[in-house]
Amino acid sequence: MPRIVGIDLGTTNSLVAIVENGIPRVIPGLDGHNLVPSVIYFGENGEVLVGNPAKEKLIEKPKNTIFSIKRFMGKGMADVRGDLALLPFDVSAQSENILKLKVFGRDYTPPEISAFVLRELKRNAEAALGEEIINAVITVPAYFNDAQRQATKDAGRIAGLDVLRIVNEPTAASLAYGLQERRQGIVAVYDFDGGTFDVSILKLSEGIFEVLSTSGDTHLGGDDIDEQLMRLVLGESKTSPDPRDFPSIRKATNKAKEDLSSADETEISIPSLGYSRKLARKEFDTLIEPTVERTLKSCRQALQDAGLQSAAVDEVVMVGGSTRIPLVRSRVQELFGRVPHTSLNPDEVVALGAAVQADILAGGKRDMLLLDVTPLSLGIETMGGVMSKIIPRNSTIPASASELFTTFVEGQTNVKVHVLQGERELVQDCRSLAQFDLKDIPPMPAGLPRIEVKFLIDADGILSVAAQEQRTGKYQSVEVKPTYGLTDEEVERMILESFEYAESDIEAREVIEARNESETVLTATDKGVKSEQFANLSVDEQNELIAAAAHLRETVKVDDHRAIREAIERLSHATQRLAEMIMNSAIEKALKNKRVREVDTDEPTDHLDKH
Amino acid sequence: MNYFEVFGLPKILKIDLKALERTFHELSRKYHPDYFAAAAPEERQNALQLTATLNDAYRTLRHPVRRTEYLVNLEGFKPDGSKVPKSFLMEVFEINEQLEEVMAGSATPEQIAALTREIEERGARFESQLEAASMEWDKLVESNASETQRKQQLTTLTEILSESSYIRNLQRELEEKP
Repeated sequence: MPRIVGIDLGTTNSLVAIVENGIPRVIPGLDGHNLVPSVIYFGENGEVLVGNPAKEKLIEKPKNTIFSIKRFMGKGMADVRGDLALLPFDVSAQSENILKLKVFGRDYTPPEISAFVLRELKRNAEAALGEEIINAVITVPAYFNDAQRQATKDAGRIAGLDVLRIVNEPTAASLAYGLQERRQGIVAVYDFDGGTFDVSILKLSEGIFEVLSTSGDTHLGGDDIDEQLMRLVLGESKTSPDPRDFPSIRKATNKAKEDLSSADETEISIPSLGYSRKLARKEFDTLIEPTVERTLKSCRQALQDAGLQSAAVDEVVMVGGSTRIPLVRSRVQELFGRVPHTSLNPDEVVALGAAVQADILAGGKRDMLLLDVTPLSLGIETMGGVMSKIIPRNSTIPASASELFTTFVEGQTNVKVHVLQGERELVQDCRSLAQFDLKDIPPMPAGLPRIEVKFLIDADGILSVAAQEQRTGKYQSVEVKPTYGLTDEEVERMILESFEYAESDIEAREVIEARNESETVLTATDKGVKSEQFANLSVDEQNELIAAAAHLRETVKVDDHRAIREAIERLSHATQRLAEMIMNSAIEKALKNKRVREVDTDEPTDHLDKH
Repeated sequence: MNYFEVFGLPKILKIDLKALERTFHELSRKYHPDYFAAAAPEERQNALQLTATLNDAYRTLRHPVRRTEYLVNLEGFKPDGSKVPKSFLMEVFEINEQLEEVMAGSATPEQIAALTREIEERGARFESQLEAASMEWDKLVESNASETQRKQQLTTLTEILSESSYIRNLQRELEEKP
């Protein structure tokens, strides 16, 4: 079987990892960093930067530098209106059921934007492993609903990946911790990252990792803490800030938050607003207390669902960057009465676990098995707008349920089915997953047809539906239209479009490389002009050299690598004679130096005599 | 294949949960889709279906109420909340009114405590009823009792389930109290 990588597609950072010789390791990017920031920059001329180079554009180009896109996966406009207030992005008018960001007049859905990050990770893995990578396991927050999981799978497909499995982040983390050495026991995984919070309670027994319950909030993370601090700044600032100031405010508050993980006091300083204040850990703790309390409430819910007291938990594992916050650590320790495991890097542990799961799928580890659950109850709409649950939350997946449907009117050939996810009683309070029609029902008196609909949640936590009329045994055509998400045709179109990007990606890379080379050449030229040999050139030679350098300085501003290369070529030609002269004089000097050294080393006897 | 057959069990109601879990893990290790990632599509689909059924069966059988509901349904009986005795309905109605006061926040701590005790007692009574009726059922199965005797016991089990749905609703609402 070809290699399978594990990918943590995070709100803030993303990583790719692989198991080699039984040991999972993170594959660094070409720049040597393990973390690829989940930031995507769209340039004016169609070039796209991903990761660290894109992150550098956050302040300068806020409108076309997208971050935290994971928060929008599987969401419609109504879900995210609150967030968008603090984000600088433009949203397309056609965003009701699937949010679309508008960049330079083109609409992008969150799966398409996430695909840029996945493509970068794929490329990093291919460069490091020296082979094409097609198969991947991608992690998602355990509390992600059907639409969010499907959106993640779509992103993989658009990036040219075959997503063999969607794995829940906390469960992946538990695999990475090698807890299988503990043959029996109860483990709680507390996963608090940039955008989401999850808690999972697992039971370990002889290599089987059985999730008993999971709870969380897909909209509660470090970003919320940043935003709390941002609101503090906005409230205190004397000048009324412009949305264009938000990126620098976010950067300053984010830094303050990180400082307070080790320091007792820090300073938030935003020169452009003339704003500065000290922030003590104590004040910060008071500010974030309600947020931390929300996570603890989820923990208590998970324990209750697992039918356990907190004392029954043998191990607590901490995952996600936000678990570096001291208040988070102390509260979690208090709740479970255990010192949490923090030995693995909380930013990397999920990717490492994804790689372990990938290894299980590849047939490498048959002694380990992960049994996960669906985080939300699945149900259908019944009379009076009531949700009738058919698969309860925390059911081990894959899971299925059958329901019988019938007609209400004589000769009725069509029955509508509305599928929902959630815990509330009324349809309006649950998440709509999909609607579909049972069509071509043989005309019969009302109530006589018996259509059995089978709902199946697969091991990725994604729903599929099949229907059969029991009297005739005929399979019904079921066209499921997702409420929030892309149809198959839309994903296909995006895959085709992504090929264009593969080309423009190469172009963008060439431009970056040409620019880097220009910089080297220009620096060398500047040195040359200041050197004593410059005077030895003819006036014409001097003029051409200066003109060529000026030309290159202008050309690098344009995103055209061919033009940049030509300008480099012209400058190299113009500096050739100067370079030779400098080189010669350097050699001369070196030779002189060598002679001096040789003289030194030729007289060792001197030293001996002195002893 | 019904859920009892999945676990190789006769249609009994007193189940050793430790043994059930052991079989669940053994069968999971055999059929889980994770072990078929490289297999042909039909084989993968098969593993998915088998594991889904296994999980459905485990979820149902390990829980005493779900297990009993499943059994009576399998035997053609259906718990029906509208067929419980009127006197019982009146009692539930009264408890419900008190519960509404608790939810509205207009009850004293003493009233809440009394109501909690009342609902807990009813819950416990229901559990022991179910337990006794389940043991009775298992005896009938083991002794190969007559169809009539079995049907009678299934009717008893169905009645207990019908009434219990009201008690379980009360318990659930009490858990959600502010």
